[in-house]
Amino acid sequence: MQIYLPIAELSMNVFFLVGIGGAVGFLSGLFGVGGGFLLTPLLIFTGVPSPVAVASVTGQVVAASTSGALSYYRRGGIDLHLAMYLILASTLGAIAGVFSFSLLRSLGQLDLFISVSYLVLLGSMGTIMLIEAVRAIMKTRSGVVVRERMPHQHTWMHGLPMRVRFKKSRLYISVLPVLAIGVCIGFIGSLLGIGGGFILVPALVYLLRVPGSVVIGTSLLQVVAMMAVTTVLHAVQSQSVDILLAFCLMVGGTVGAQFGASAGQYLRGEQLRALLALLVLAVAIRFGLSLILPPSDIFSTALLGPGGAL
Amino acid sequence: MRALLLVLALVLMASPVQAERVVSSVSNTTVLISSSFDGETLTMFGNIEPELGTGQPAKGPYHVVIVVEGPLSDRVTRLKTNNFGIWMNTVQVQFNAMPTYFHVLSDAKLKEITTPVVIAEEKLRPEYQAQAAIETGWWDSVVFANQTVRLLTEKGAFAVREDGVQFLSNTFYSAQLTLPANVPNGAFVARTYVFKDGQIIARKSDGFSVRKSGFERFVGQSANQYPLLYGLVCVALALFTGWLGGVVFKR
Repeated sequence: MQIYLPIAELSMNVFFLVGIGGAVGFLSGLFGVGGGFLLTPLLIFTGVPSPVAVASVTGQVVAASTSGALSYYRRGGIDLHLAMYLILASTLGAIAGVFSFSLLRSLGQLDLFISVSYLVLLGSMGTIMLIEAVRAIMKTRSGVVVRERMPHQHTWMHGLPMRVRFKKSRLYISVLPVLAIGVCIGFIGSLLGIGGGFILVPALVYLLRVPGSVVIGTSLLQVVAMMAVTTVLHAVQSQSVDILLAFCLMVGGTVGAQFGASAGQYLRGEQLRALLALLVLAVAIRFGLSLILPPSDIFSTALLGPGGAL
Repeated sequence: MRALLLVLALVLMASPVQAERVVSSVSNTTVLISSSFDGETLTMFGNIEPELGTGQPAKGPYHVVIVVEGPLSDRVTRLKTNNFGIWMNTVQVQFNAMPTYFHVLSDAKLKEITTPVVIAEEKLRPEYQAQAAIETGWWDSVVFANQTVRLLTEKGAFAVREDGVQFLSNTFYSAQLTLPANVPNGAFVARTYVFKDGQIIARKSDGFSVRKSGFERFVGQSANQYPLLYGLVCVALALFTGWLGGVVFKR
């Protein structure tokens, strides 16, 4: 069944859209990530203009993260105080990101920027995650008990001024690194159409030493808020949010996420992380190859102006 | 009054040369895009008749060329080159007010119908449209115009179909054109040229528009006119869908 997407100005099969939404939703439920980093490239491959793909996926990420954030909120797994700082900072980052998006598009370097960013970000994150997960798997195999909470090590970050007490996370740290992380995530997320959960969670765990009990919930809340702001910004700035496209993806994504979450209970944490790392690396390699291999066509053409294709 | 006289004079001057005129029409004056839109086929048809008052029957052989042109838009074409092992866009050429859709239909090969000079003057090939829209130097205009036409032809937005017009009698012709599902929205014009002995003896323009209807129209207009509200509605929808998913499946 074909459905006409009024903003993308093309028609696509509705089952295909719900299907890829569901497949990515399954993975996002399984790994606890938004799934934007898979969905945006998938849509671009299938012919959706990149600005529409990036902007509409932000809407889908909001939906995919909402149910997760709500269930963590009910269980008290969110540090609202910490989330508020992150949301404020990432909103600023998102505004800068959306404007850079328009600028890069007019310069003709948006696809290069997206490819390089995906390669660098996903490549480095994937590698780190894979190494960490493999180590954890080896340790459990050899019978070493892995400690859940990081010990209170003092790093250079604890010497920074403007310290704030985050009760729920049992942290007394400077807000500067918190704000810096927020701005970076906001900027990257709005530019690449990803929630950034897979960057935020490690940043909170390894840099700020946020305990595991609140890190996922806080990250999810921050993703919901930031992607909601980004959706509105894209709608205002480039008018490239396709509500029908986003809705088809949301429906598939929300259903898929539930199945993914229940499937995730049969796998061990470090196995999940290793699989996610491999997935992230695969996407990174795909983008890397697109930079190095000769393109099938060295010429490309695009419309200028709002809603124009890349 | 003077203008009227001028028009009259022009008509009188023109009438001995143009002994024929073309009566033409397009099957749809509006193509409405609804949720199940998957392209639409238009029929363009017409008859070549003697000019009123001349009395002689229209004599062929005639050739008909129909140019269907979509809304104009600015466009940019980019060239990727390899820099230190990385492929990136390095050259870009802008086209101003170029048709987003350009199909040429004719009943015979264009070069058999008329001379290259007339084809170039009337821009009857997509390449001339692209070259006219370009600002930069001659070399760019040739290379980039041809490449842009090639890319748009691959996408189905541009085409030359030299068997696209059928003559049903000596003077009555019809042509079919299938607009694809990703047709640009806006005002279209179908220009009909009638050739005899390589010269244009009659021409006519018929307009039609492609626009969204119903819900699709509402969504498109909301996104353009109330972008802030539209964005907020998108977010509300996303939050609601996410919440509903959580409730239905009770995680």
